[in-house]
Amino acid sequence: MIPTAPIAITGMGAISAIGNHVTENFRSLVASKHGIGPITQLDTYHRGRLLVGEIPIGNAELYDRLHLSPEVACTRSTLLALLAAKEAMEAAAFQPGDGYRTGLISATTVGGMDATEQYYDDYLISEKHQPFIQTHPCGYAAEQMGRYLGISDFVTTISTACSSAANAIMLGARMIRAGLLDRVLVGGTDCLSRFTINGFNSLMIYTDSHCRPFDENRNGLNLGEAAAYLVLEAAEVAKRRGKSPIAYLTGYGNANDAFHQTASSDNGEGAYLAMRKALETARLNPTDIDYVNAHGTATPNNDLAEGNALLRIYGSASALPAFSSTKAFTGHTLAAAGAIEAVFSLLALQHQVVFPNLNFSQPIASLGIIPQTELREKKIAHVLSNSFGFGGNCSTLLFSKDHD
Amino acid sequence: MIKPIYIHGSGCISIQPTFEAGYFFDALTSYAQNPVPALDPDYKAFIPALQLRRMNKSMRMALFASRLAMQEAGITAVDAVITGSGLGCLRDSERFVEHLRAEEGSSLNPTPFIQSTHNMAAAALALSLGCKGYNMTYVNNANSFESALLDSLIYLAEHPTETVLLGGVDELGERTPQFWDIAGYLKHEGAEIPTPLDDRTPGEIAAEGAIFFIASQQQSYQTLGKVLAVETRLEVDNPPAFIAEFLQRNGVSTDALDAVMLGCNGDARYDGIYRTLGDTLFADLPQVAFKHALGEYDTVVAAALFLVLGIFQHQHIPQTLLLNEVSSRTLQRILIYTQRRGQNHSVILVEK
Repeated sequence: MIPTAPIAITGMGAISAIGNHVTENFRSLVASKHGIGPITQLDTYHRGRLLVGEIPIGNAELYDRLHLSPEVACTRSTLLALLAAKEAMEAAAFQPGDGYRTGLISATTVGGMDATEQYYDDYLISEKHQPFIQTHPCGYAAEQMGRYLGISDFVTTISTACSSAANAIMLGARMIRAGLLDRVLVGGTDCLSRFTINGFNSLMIYTDSHCRPFDENRNGLNLGEAAAYLVLEAAEVAKRRGKSPIAYLTGYGNANDAFHQTASSDNGEGAYLAMRKALETARLNPTDIDYVNAHGTATPNNDLAEGNALLRIYGSASALPAFSSTKAFTGHTLAAAGAIEAVFSLLALQHQVVFPNLNFSQPIASLGIIPQTELREKKIAHVLSNSFGFGGNCSTLLFSKDHD
Repeated sequence: MIKPIYIHGSGCISIQPTFEAGYFFDALTSYAQNPVPALDPDYKAFIPALQLRRMNKSMRMALFASRLAMQEAGITAVDAVITGSGLGCLRDSERFVEHLRAEEGSSLNPTPFIQSTHNMAAAALALSLGCKGYNMTYVNNANSFESALLDSLIYLAEHPTETVLLGGVDELGERTPQFWDIAGYLKHEGAEIPTPLDDRTPGEIAAEGAIFFIASQQQSYQTLGKVLAVETRLEVDNPPAFIAEFLQRNGVSTDALDAVMLGCNGDARYDGIYRTLGDTLFADLPQVAFKHALGEYDTVVAAALFLVLGIFQHQHIPQTLLLNEVSSRTLQRILIYTQRRGQNHSVILVEK
């Protein structure tokens, strides 16, 4: 068996529709200022029709902010990832090559699809955009990040649909505990694309307005774009270099619903198992959890399954701790969701607040559970964060103010 | 803390009839084309016709190869599913791009979108096996399978009594190989299987396949071999030093190896790395190639592991795969080293 050495979180970085860095994201969360609006960057039929959580910065400006040469082929997911990863590394205040084995584990589902869908015919007839051919595979972003950030000891990429980033964070912790790395940059990135907007729209789970997580009348999600990264370190490494952690990653669980390609089982079996495993690895009881940052996409199916899974963990609606979905702020950011919500969970621990679940008015009749709808100050020692995806992939992370 | 994992069953779909009982590379199917699609087994032997119709090639190849592995291991259930796929369900991704480019705004068929996600093969395995345990998909270009293998080593160290279904799968697309050709990845002159490994022409032969294994920490009468360690590195300045350090970290000298599997694929731009190793570090070892017979794709290294297990079992290296004249002593310990296009280097140490 592998010893459960404490995993310190010593840095975080985030860019989303509600802020270009962690502090801006926090300000928006406490001010209930959401980032959902019309499409302004992406060239799609759905511009002026569907609402998204878009980052209002064009790619050219992202290149400038990163001091990247226009000759380098970088798709939007990579650009967003580099900004968030740089912020996380600066916060953790380390230099790669300082003698500690440092890895990078990134998550994405879109990869370079935003380039492929745009240049699909163009590649065949014009040389202009052909350097973007190599950006298509999901693994390309992490490789570019590794080179840009100087992280080379270990690089990999995970894609498990909307649970991808949670799995990247989980793998990072497991590799440190297994003695394979001392420190690891973990997280995820996904930009908006015609591919994903049309995909979710074709499944008829894209709302015609603002998403309403856990509401009886919810009718689908808004997509968003984001990138977020954490620096995980063996607690003793953080201590040795005099870095006090933001918090600790104490639990994680990964399970499969094994029910349907896209739909979750009504009783939320996969979600239930993922939460149970996270509690078990942290050796905590459900009652120890002070806040649940729910997956809460606002699709009829997800919120019902997740709500049922929470009821199975807690026994009754009245026993549930404060919970909220922050998807109404950022939109569903797919492979980045688990990472941006990890940052929000850490902000909740740092500032001892529960963020509101926007756009809620009526509880789901069959569940009777009511999310936190106003910002609430509260003593928070442990936060549970859920991420579930297509293919039955369910993952849960557990963040704690202290370890043991 | 990481311990060796034992492999109890394996299954392989490739451009050679590797899924046929008794086949072991004594003869190679030849091709004079690029790309080369995988041979189709009789999928209906394992997959009900109705389900089969709905499955893309990644899903059906993964399901079939994993059933072969489970059959060989004599098991009907696993505790976890860990896969690698460089490009995921490529054809469905292309299909959905084509639909949305043609008809964005009309009601698009969601099926190719659903089946385009990279985790769909692992999901199909979980669904068909009713496996509610750990489920993971790595998509790190030519190191995707190695990441899945590393995760399996970690997972089984964490859960020493469990059994993992581990594998790699990649399918060809229709438009994407044209893009690869434009990007200069593909071989034109001498585009054949078996690919001549004389380092004269650039480019690789694109192919596809699925390779799955059953792994646990328990040795059984059915054990085919054990994986001791795996390491990956995006960029390596000095491959001989990288490999020597890996061996040293694992307490093995090159003298203690019985053979080495090398990932040469006939791409003159990058095969020099293997030639150098063959002339130096591995000069006294039987050197075995596999990509000239199986083509190139991100997870083809899993087929090298499949081959190593076969070599252990047969105690014989097929002549079609041997690169040099060094004769095989006893075949107990083999190292696999590959890279693709000069990056994503990996080493895997396997013992009988």
